[in-house]
Formats: sequence, structure tokens, C-alpha cells
Amino acid sequence: MTAATAPAAAPRAWRVPWPAGPARLLRIELRRSPMPWMLPLLAVLFWLSAYRMAMNNPPFWNIRSATLQANAMLVFAPLLAGACAWAGSRDGRRGLTDLVGVTAAPRWAAQLATWAAATIWAEALYLAGVAVLYGVTAHQGAWGGPLWWPVAVGVAMIAASCAFGFAAGLLLASRFTAPLAALLVFLALAGGAFAIQDNVRYARIWPLSVQGPFPTNSYGIFYPYLPDLAIAQVMFLAGLTAAALGATGLPAAAGGRWLRAAAAAVTVAGLAAAGTAVGLAGTARVEAHGIVIPALHDAASDRPVPYTPVCSRSAVPVCLQPAYRSYLPAVTAALGPVLGPLAGLPGAPARVTQVAVTSVQSAQSNGIGFGGPVISGRPPVLYLPLSGLSLPGEGNVSVAQFTSGLRQQYGPSIVNELVGLPPDEAVGADVASTDAVPDARHAAQIAVARALDQIMDLTEVGGGSPARSGAGGAAGSGAPLLARQEAAASHRFSALPAAGRHAWLATHLAALRAGRITLSEIP
Amino acid sequence: MNVEVAGVTRRFGRTQAVAGVDLEAGPGVLGLLGPNGAGKTSLLRMLATVIPPSSGTLRLLGRDPRGYARRKEIRRRLGYLPQNLGYYPGFTVAEFVEYFALLKEMPPAWIPGAVTAAIERTGLADQARAKLRTLSGGMLRRAGIAQAIVNDPDLLLLDEPTAGLDPEQRVAFRALLRDLGERATVVVSTHLVEDVGAACGQVALMDAGRIVFHGTPAELTARADGTDAAGDAPLERGYSAVLAAARAGAGARS
Repeated sequence: MTAATAPAAAPRAWRVPWPAGPARLLRIELRRSPMPWMLPLLAVLFWLSAYRMAMNNPPFWNIRSATLQANAMLVFAPLLAGACAWAGSRDGRRGLTDLVGVTAAPRWAAQLATWAAATIWAEALYLAGVAVLYGVTAHQGAWGGPLWWPVAVGVAMIAASCAFGFAAGLLLASRFTAPLAALLVFLALAGGAFAIQDNVRYARIWPLSVQGPFPTNSYGIFYPYLPDLAIAQVMFLAGLTAAALGATGLPAAAGGRWLRAAAAAVTVAGLAAAGTAVGLAGTARVEAHGIVIPALHDAASDRPVPYTPVCSRSAVPVCLQPAYRSYLPAVTAALGPVLGPLAGLPGAPARVTQVAVTSVQSAQSNGIGFGGPVISGRPPVLYLPLSGLSLPGEGNVSVAQFTSGLRQQYGPSIVNELVGLPPDEAVGADVASTDAVPDARHAAQIAVARALDQIMDLTEVGGGSPARSGAGGAAGSGAPLLARQEAAASHRFSALPAAGRHAWLATHLAALRAGRITLSEIP
Repeated sequence: MNVEVAGVTRRFGRTQAVAGVDLEAGPGVLGLLGPNGAGKTSLLRMLATVIPPSSGTLRLLGRDPRGYARRKEIRRRLGYLPQNLGYYPGFTVAEFVEYFALLKEMPPAWIPGAVTAAIERTGLADQARAKLRTLSGGMLRRAGIAQAIVNDPDLLLLDEPTAGLDPEQRVAFRALLRDLGERATVVVSTHLVEDVGAACGQVALMDAGRIVFHGTPAELTARADGTDAAGDAPLERGYSAVLAAARAGAGARS
């Protein structure tokens, strides 16, 4: 039979059962993806950027999860974008475009299998890292449970950066596409980080933004982790992923008309989702314990997390949130020298209770005010937020440094509270900015407070109290008369025997607090 | 007819690669001969549905490839080996062939057997688990042939399939071509006249984008009779004679 005379062969009807075909395709792609070659490098970078950083912080779930979202992503995302761009440009680089272009399966489906394989490897490594970090955190006895929303943002970020890189590699196949994609993603992340710092309204959507400008010992411990921002971020990243993958299905070679229409719809839907998420982020507001997006907010998340505090057996019991259990001895040791001499005085704290760090967004960007210690209630309770302090184990902070820092930062404030000086709003405030002119209305209170500071060895930073620093700084021979009198009263009072001081304070503290004691009445 | 080509042209910018080709082919092996730049690869790429014609009509396996659904049906029954075979260096031979079997939408249950058969037919059974990056040029070519025949195609298009094969493999490959041509339409583009003589029932000779001869190898050989055409073998002399006549403006066609 010759080629000119034979009839056309009868068509064979092949039907591919779902999902056997795609599953086998994915299996091959998984086996031959270039991503496993990247895994050692990614593992090292994860250790450097996330694990090591997390271990330099206390075992709080919120801190550990924040490193998984922000630190890890800063190094993961650009590398994965580059690696996936390399995978995406594979057919173009290898001269396989013709060969794979004339196969029956929609090109888009095969390309998605390649992307999926690369992404699965990257996600597997990331989740393995999460498992290790969370496992170690649990082993360290962290209170509460792991936070999964930051992990979800990380997972979505990996998928998005890989999709972006893959689309870039596919649509602009070149050996330079991979490094360019990595560089672009890095610049985008860095630019986003700067925008977050500048408090650009919509920048919170950027996945490096964890929970707003909050101290990490606030959210997720005293109050539930607010997932509002994370939900918007996942929505944004999922939208970008869909848009990028949809774009790979738009070229004529990707498939038939209906398939390309579906790809276009996926692209549009992805862009719409990402745009909606950005819009939602624009409505976010910083509240006391997290970022609230009204459309996504669940009011139930505003209720404090119930817990049974852990308390010391000291004369003045110190009670902490159980997440801080390991710091109880240090906090008790730090406050003992301050609270001991004051014990039994009217208005002196009978107990110390740790409270959440409260923070309120001011009109200025990132203007967050952290509340200091407050004495209130009957019997009086010292409500103590452990804000602005590095905990032992955080970086190179030792227990001794923590104890000293806590006493010197909060001691003067506690004394202030007791003697009725205006609340020390500036724990750690810039002393140089305070008014150096002594205040006659509070002269006696300042003198007594200064004396107590000296007795309790709080003088190092005792000047943290604006009023006391002003008077003390002006007590030299050339100082105003009031300042000299105030200093003299302070010296007199500090020279008293402890029992005498305590007895005088027990009798006169109420009057001192009310401003009815003059400098000359101080013994 | 598995291949029906009528008045097909293809331009690349100002270059006319294919200038009005008419061709019909049913089951059997058709050799596509011609000098460099004659338009063989462009014609083969159109037959493989890689590129559409600029003008003219094309029907493959009884279908018009312009519609996506029809094109997809054609592609399921098509085998194609491009002139410059790209490959995934990290894939093994078996994975490479299986990968294309999957892309050709073969039923998964058939794939293991089909992959095995294709690899054995191309003499690569011992290298089935070898990574492609470790293979010689000739072995890579055979892996390319294996992926082309894995779906037992009704239309097999091979562009320079014997390039890089050693003599023993070329002999075996010609036998494979004859075997495949028993049922399918096989179009082989080549420079090697002896391949055509040994394996092809029909031969088409292209020059300057046109088919200047279409007939049997014996008819091509006969064209040299009475001429002083150059060539070591009778078929080569026929080839030279037809080309010379075509270039002299005779427009020789069978």
C-alpha cells in the first residue's frame, strides 16, 4: 500500500480518567523539579532568618509565629520566585516549546503541574520548618497554643511568590528571568517594609506586616490574636497567585478558547480578590490589642483570654500571666526591694498583677503609647504591664539585667504613684526634655520620692521621673532656693531609720499625697 | 488520506518558506527530501500543527486543524520529532517518554506498556532509567523517537530522525519506519537519500518552498537517466537531476 492510496485511519476515542493523568504528571514533576536542589539552601536560610531569630526570643507563640511570617518570608519569597521562574522558563530554555506545544493536553494544565510541583516542595520545606520551630516552642513550655494564621500567610506568600516567578519565567523565558524575578520580589518586599514603617495606609496588606506596631507580649497572650489582617493578607496573596497563574493561561498556545477564557476569568477574579484585600486593609485601624478590619472582625476576639495567674509567695504577692511563669522569680526579685519598704503603708500595693500592655495609636505615625504601672483598688493592687523590657533570654539579656532594668524602670513610677505625683507617663522618656524648674506644688512629694529612690537604689534612672529629675538637677549651690530646700528635705528623710521613715509615711502619706505637707514638715 | 495539503504557503516576515505546496499521503512512509532551506521543516511544523499555514488548506487525519477541538483530536494521534530536540536533562528516558504519553492524553492504564514498547523499539531498554543528560546525541535522538511513537500515532512526523545515529542504529531505525508505515502515515524529512531509498515508499522533493517531485524512489532514480547528474548512488543522481531541472525552471513534477 502506498502513501497516496491508503484511506485515513479510523480515529480512536481516548478518554483520560480524572485525576489519574494529572496525578501522574504531578508525580513526574515532583520527582524532577529543580526545587529539591534549593532545599538545603532554603533550610539554611530558614535557620538563619527565622529559627535562630525566634530562639533569641522568649518562647511565646506570638513571637515565634511572627518570625515565621516576616523573617522567613523576607528570604524565602525572593529565592522561591527565582527558582520558580527558572522552572517556568524550562520549556523555552530547553527548546521544547514545539514539542510540548503539539501535545493534546492543554499546555496550561501541564504548566500548572510544573508550578504545583515546585510550590509543593517549597511549602513542604516551610511547613517542616514550622513544625520544628513550633515543636521546640511547645517543648519549651510555651503557654497557650500555636498561632496558625501567620503560618497561613507564609504558606500563601510562598504560593504567590512562586506563581509570580513561574509566570515571569513562562511568559518571558530567558536565563535572566530568574534573577530578575528574585530581585523584583525582594525589592517589592523591601519597598513594602518601608511603606509599613512610614505607616502608609494600605501597606499593612504587605505580608511582612504581622500585627501592627505592637509589642509582641500584647497580642495572643492577654487577648486573642486578631486574624483580621492575616485574613486580608491571605486573600491578597491568594488573589495574586490566581492572577499570576491565570496569566499563564492567556497565550494562544496555552489551550483552547474556553480554557483561555477560564484563565482570563481566573486572572480577573484574582486581581479582584487582591484589590478587595487592599481595600480592606485600608479600612484597618489599630486598636488596643491588634489591628481591626471592621468587615472581617469578630467581636468575640475582643474578649480577654481567660487564665489563672501564677503568683509568688512573697510578702507582696506578684501574679503573672502564665505565659510569663518562668519570669516570676525575676520579677519578684526585681520588685521586692521596691515593695518591701512600702508594705503596709496606706495605698501601698498589697499585690502585683500583670496586665496587658495597652497601646493606642496616636495621630502621628506609629505613635504608640504604652501604659505604665498603676496602683488602684481596695486593697491596692499594682497593675504592672511588662512593656518596654527585654525579657531574660531575649538576645543577650541576663536575669540580672532584666531584674535591674525592671526595678529601675518601674520603681520610680511605683513611688510616684504612691506619693501622689503625677503619673509617670514617660517610662524611659527623654530626661533632657523635662522641665528643669522645680514645682512648688509637689516639692514635698518630690523630696520624699527622691529619698525613697535613693533608699531603694533607684537613683540610676530615678531621673526618669520628670519632676524629680528637674529638682535634683538644680540642687547645687547656684540652684533656686526651692530646689535647695527640696534636696535638703530629701537628704533628711533618707537619713531617717527605716522604721522611722515607715512610721512617718504611715501617718502622713495621705496628707503628702493630697499635697498638704510642706518641705519643712518632712522630718 | 491522513495528510491533505492544498496550496499551502508559509511566510516568516519577508521570507517565503513554503510557496504553494500540494501533497496527499495515506499510510506508508513518505520521505521529504530537499536541500537546506527548501522548506521541509516549515512544512513539517505545519503538519505537526506547531504553526498554521499563511494560506492554503490543510487537513490532517481527516480534520481541519484550525479549530481547537479538531486540533486536539489530531494531536492525540500525532507523533512529532522536531529537528532540534529539546529535552529535560533531569528526566530519565522512561520519565521523558511517559511525560509525553501523559501530555498526549493516553489512558493512564495504557501508559506503562506503551512506554516500555516505545523504549524497546528504539533500542533504549538498557538506558530506560538513565538520566537524559547522561546520554549520547544518538541516544537522545532515539529517546526523541520513542516519545514520538509512544502513542502509536496515526500520523508520525520525523524531522532528521537519523541525525546522530550510528550505522547499526540507522539500519534498525529504517526497519522501524517500515514497520510503523504499515499502519500509519510517516513523513520523514531528511538529507540522507539512502534513508529514503531504504525505508520510504514515497518521496517528495522540495526546493525553494515548492514540491518539485513526488513519486516513488524508483521514479526519482529514473529521473537521472540520460542526464549527467552528480551523485554516488542512483537515487542521489535522481535527486540531483530533479533539483537541476527545477532550478533551470523546468518545474519538474511527477
